Amino acid sequence: MDIELNVNGDMLHVVVSPGEVLIDTLRESAGLTGSKKGCATGDCGACTVLLDGRPVTSCLVLSVSAQGKGVTTIEGLADETGLHPVQEGFVAMGAVQCGYCTPGMVMMATAVLAEQPHPTDAQIRAGLAGNLCRCTGYGKIIAAVQSAALMMAEEA
Amino acid sequence: MAAPETRDPVVEVGTKEPTKPAYKYVGKSVTRIDSVAKVTGASRFSTDFYLKGMLHAKILFSDRPYARIIDIDISKALALPGVKAVITGDDAPIRRYGVYLKDKTILAKGEVRYIGDRVAAVAAVTERIAEQAVSLIKVRYEDLDPLLDTTAALKEGASRLHPDVAEYEAGFPYIRYGNVCMEAELARGDVATAFAESDVVLEAVYRTGAVNQAPIEPHACVAGFDHRGRLTVWTATQQLSVCHAELAAALEIPMVDVRVIPLECGGGFGGKLDTNLEPLTALLAQKAGRAVRLAMTREEEFVAANNRAPFEIKIKLGATSDGKLTGGEVDIVADAGAYADHVVGTASHALSSSEGVYRFPSWKVRTRAVYTNNPDYGCMRGYGTIQALFALETHLDALARKIAIDPAELRLANLVEDGDELISSAALHDVHIRETMETALDRSGYWEKKGSMGPNRGIGIANIVKTVGLLSSSATVRLNEDGTVAITTAAVEIGCGTHTVLSQIAAEVLDVPIDRVSVGAPESDSTAYDLGSIASRTVFDNGSAVRLATEDLRAKIVECAARELGCDADEVMITEGRVHDVSSLEGGMTLEAVAGTSIYGAEGPLVGFGVWSAYRHHDDPVGGGFAEGIYPTFGFGTHVAEVEIDPGTGQVSILDYTACHDVGKAINPMALEGQIEGGVAQGLGGALWEEMLVSDGRILNPNLVDYRLPTIMDVPRVQISLVEVPDALGPFGAKGIGEHPILGPGPSIANAIADASGVLVNQIPVTPERLLDAIDASTPG
Repeated sequence: MDIELNVNGDMLHVVVSPGEVLIDTLRESAGLTGSKKGCATGDCGACTVLLDGRPVTSCLVLSVSAQGKGVTTIEGLADETGLHPVQEGFVAMGAVQCGYCTPGMVMMATAVLAEQPHPTDAQIRAGLAGNLCRCTGYGKIIAAVQSAALMMAEEA
Repeated sequence: MAAPETRDPVVEVGTKEPTKPAYKYVGKSVTRIDSVAKVTGASRFSTDFYLKGMLHAKILFSDRPYARIIDIDISKALALPGVKAVITGDDAPIRRYGVYLKDKTILAKGEVRYIGDRVAAVAAVTERIAEQAVSLIKVRYEDLDPLLDTTAALKEGASRLHPDVAEYEAGFPYIRYGNVCMEAELARGDVATAFAESDVVLEAVYRTGAVNQAPIEPHACVAGFDHRGRLTVWTATQQLSVCHAELAAALEIPMVDVRVIPLECGGGFGGKLDTNLEPLTALLAQKAGRAVRLAMTREEEFVAANNRAPFEIKIKLGATSDGKLTGGEVDIVADAGAYADHVVGTASHALSSSEGVYRFPSWKVRTRAVYTNNPDYGCMRGYGTIQALFALETHLDALARKIAIDPAELRLANLVEDGDELISSAALHDVHIRETMETALDRSGYWEKKGSMGPNRGIGIANIVKTVGLLSSSATVRLNEDGTVAITTAAVEIGCGTHTVLSQIAAEVLDVPIDRVSVGAPESDSTAYDLGSIASRTVFDNGSAVRLATEDLRAKIVECAARELGCDADEVMITEGRVHDVSSLEGGMTLEAVAGTSIYGAEGPLVGFGVWSAYRHHDDPVGGGFAEGIYPTFGFGTHVAEVEIDPGTGQVSILDYTACHDVGKAINPMALEGQIEGGVAQGLGGALWEEMLVSDGRILNPNLVDYRLPTIMDVPRVQISLVEVPDALGPFGAKGIGEHPILGPGPSIANAIADASGVLVNQIPVTPERLLDAIDASTPG
């Protein structure tokens, strides 16, 4: 079936099968391999993207249900002025190790900050509870999100 | 927008005053050279690699633990439209391969030995068709009686899973018989007399669970043959050189006909050593005549990765009533599963590290790796030491309780020092366990808290020792035409920040800005040997190779510039990428000018070479695997855990966690802190939550819900202190840190739980069920 969705500002027309999930459409049809598949069961969070601004695990979203919607992936977060503050925070605070969870982690953190611009550490933990990281032990990820919150507050 | 300033973390220094030369690039928390690509989704991991026209593969895994294959009918699978190749054991080379012991074939021949043994594989135009074709393969089996634990496998008259175990080729000789694929034994002094003369002798059995490395990136690779018939494999590996050699050996083709290109590696932790999917994918590509991609699902990842093997360790320790250790005896049994893989190595490491950091006048230890029909276990971060130290460090607490001495006092009274010998090592050097212990006890408030934490709360300690450095590495560093500097090495970046640290080392040696140094993407055609990003060795060994190569290049630059400037080599130096007279920063030559002079002159291009072997830097090698000195140095550390238990539910909450590590020199403190925080988190997983449940040879929880990884809700803030006293051998004095942090949580948490509950759980993970059972068992009536 034909669907049309807006991915990172570009209209994408693709043919998808009825059971196809968004992560596969993004990676294989749109060629956007930034979003990662870690489990395909919604347990690791590596495939997190924003669907009409809200975070979803794209391995559990049927592509047909994204018809007409807007998708933001990790590739769409930085703009011509540079990295998004969350990306800056992850780089500066050493929150990136192997980097495989990073795209999902960054997208979820972006959603957390949209909801709560001045989060406590506990709110960050609650917001990122569904995103697994095997490398960092999460300490520097919390610091990265706090640093991003500060940067965004300064910009505002 | 402005990035926040890169901060240097607070570094606690131990009691010895370190020498602190003023470094420009070493010791700085520079941001990682790969992080922008990783936060923008630009990095290409093994799962992100696709070739036009490639096929997709699926494996048919054995669904029974032990059976004879009567026949395999692939006709229906082959007839399915879109299927391009089906292979079985008949297509696999006869020669066995394996990194320690050559005991496996690419696909099962004649017998399957575990649920997950590879029986057949399909390449098709889509993954879905390949999956469907796999379901059409019909295998007739004759079931055999499986050996489901090491006790059964060790029993007299047990069926032999590998009747030829003694004849298999091995990397070096060691004892093999029955279902034992490795046995080793070492002794010092007279243990029996020591026990007879001890005031207290205590014996117990400890068990550690099977743990999945669980990198968030599952295994994936692509293999294809080019027009010349040369194999190229794109994969994620911790060991480029070893993968290259093992792949060629498994396929029985010369290494010159094989090219391995590592892609970004989304986590290793011991799960991406030597080869895994590569030989099978290449075999399929050969059969199909087209490139093939093979990628594991998360469930297959549990079955197909060689997980940390479960160990059973019997330990008996003796002491005097005033807390002097007299001797110990340890018997280690590791479940190797169906094939030896790295369990030979981990069982050996457990033997080497069985004494921990203590002076035992007498010691006796035996270790055995035993074949069973359980999953094909391997190794994980911590490599045998994690199992051995869990047994020793928890048993020390039990011993301390028995002689009514504080466990910290008992440890402090028996620590090894420089010049002492462990069971498998020559004299130790750069020992800093006393400093890490005193720092950790002080920073955690141990002495104030001990005994006064209130009901259901407890504090526990664990001392850590782990080898640093292993075997050899090489690197080249060249001066580019524009004066920038290019490092080439086979050391892969698996997420630890290795490449950033290598660039810091080269920048420091040459005194060039760090953004003028590159680390090339490793690949087997253009980079010479490196053992890999394993064994807490990469900064220590590969960093040494890069240091030597850069020093070589520096000497060549200086010589060339001195001749051009008309002076002696010792009259010039390099500052900020400019070669100048030692007496003046003015004048001289840029590195670009030096490059031009050499390339277009008689000198030729300037290239530095560095070859490093941990072996040859000792007359009397330190450390040992099979009582053979192959480890150049050791890293020490101390962890302190504080917990609260709920005696009603068995739940354990971590109140505070302190980790102090002897690191030699922190070349990048931020990256190093990341290793400690991440290692502690993984250690907490194995201490409290993570265990592959195996019943009748089958993994019951092969998914990320039932197999419980630590989440951001579980891991506490870790209070980190470093002891920085430069090591005699490491680059700029650096030791390794990759594995050390994972060693502490098992015993420190178990000891804290025992302090809180009065009950020692002798098995990790300490699940709520195990804790409740132990509490019940200790309650009278």
